Amino acid sequence: MKVLTYIKIGIGALVVVLLIVGFFWLKNLTKNDHIDLGPDEDIDITPTQIQSIKAIGEWEFLSVSAEELVDTTRRRLLMKDELARIYYGTLRLGVDMHQVKPGWIKTSGDSITMTLPAIGLLDKDFIDEARTRPFYESGSWTAEDREILFKKAYRMMTQHCLTKENLQAAEANGQEQFRNMLQSMGYKHVMITFEK
Amino acid sequence: MRKYVLFTCAVLVVLGLLFCHSRIVHEDTEAPDPVVQAIDTVPMLVTQVQQCAKLYTAEYRVHKIITHDDVIRLKGTVLQRDFNLKVPLGDRKIAIPMDAKLKAYIDFSQFSERNIERQGDKITILLPDPKVTMTSSKIDQKNVRQYVALTRAYFSDAELANYQQQGRAAIIADIPKLGILETAQANAAKVLVPMLKDMGYEEKNITVAFRKQYGADDILQLIRSEE
Repeated sequence: MKVLTYIKIGIGALVVVLLIVGFFWLKNLTKNDHIDLGPDEDIDITPTQIQSIKAIGEWEFLSVSAEELVDTTRRRLLMKDELARIYYGTLRLGVDMHQVKPGWIKTSGDSITMTLPAIGLLDKDFIDEARTRPFYESGSWTAEDREILFKKAYRMMTQHCLTKENLQAAEANGQEQFRNMLQSMGYKHVMITFEK
Repeated sequence: MRKYVLFTCAVLVVLGLLFCHSRIVHEDTEAPDPVVQAIDTVPMLVTQVQQCAKLYTAEYRVHKIITHDDVIRLKGTVLQRDFNLKVPLGDRKIAIPMDAKLKAYIDFSQFSERNIERQGDKITILLPDPKVTMTSSKIDQKNVRQYVALTRAYFSDAELANYQQQGRAAIIADIPKLGILETAQANAAKVLVPMLKDMGYEEKNITVAFRKQYGADDILQLIRSEE
């Protein structure tokens, strides 16, 4: 009778020990367990194709970085849809050296006169559309709607950044930069003018 | 009688909710909705003006089709075993064609007498390191294509912007493979040599040099990102 009791106590203790060991083993085994449900966020790997290579000679004297918040609203029977996006662009002002006219440089001893083409926008493509940030969206919008917003952002950036003041600032800086460069080459009397 | 009134009200509420949540199908051929009126409400502008002296010498136009296969996946780890299962809730796919313009330039803002060596009639111009930047990018909105299963929602503006930004980053990562710096170096001479000839130097006496020939390892330091 006494022996049987000891056996029962022993088995009970063993079971308890096994349960404790099993608990910690399972806890250790499952400590890094996790389950996620969701879509992949990464894009697929596709090649980048070169469409054209061009030799250019654009001298930039002023860069105007702009960001525009453009939005549109559409009213429906019971609802109002809104889409707002922030566009980024950089307008580069300067001269295109491919437009210089014959005889644009005149030298005489230590004097030099340079007539550069008129200052203008170097590249009409200045919006970095892939950098665009979504700000707010309600309702459903088409690619055509986004194209309209892009054109609005383009118009606004041109209107705000391609100003007379900025063109004058670019011209002044262009004169300064060319003067420094030509004086570095040894010319003492430098005259820089721009076509109008 | 009261039951009929309640039933009719319930049907009307359900129909109203369905109408409100009905989505406009994204198709190029879609006719404009006559009820739709689009207006601008919040124009805002932030500008940053910077003086500079950069000579852009090479322009690359590149094209990329950003694709994304949006599948719902159940993934994780159970008992130290990884699993990744496709959940049959319907797929979404999108293809976004994108064009970008990359330009290489030489920054003359620090140009000084130290960059010029003259010996008699000979002149050597040592140019600063060329750099590369993405000057513009354009999404070909007209040719964006998306396929969405009935059980899934259309791609949101935030999702589209995320894919486009990843595509932009992928183009920048591909710059070292394009050989744009070599082109920029060669083209710099095409701009500067005629200018020096007009100043009275003979072509044989003009040398336009760079610090070194740049390879794929160097270009990573010479890419200028505007983010």
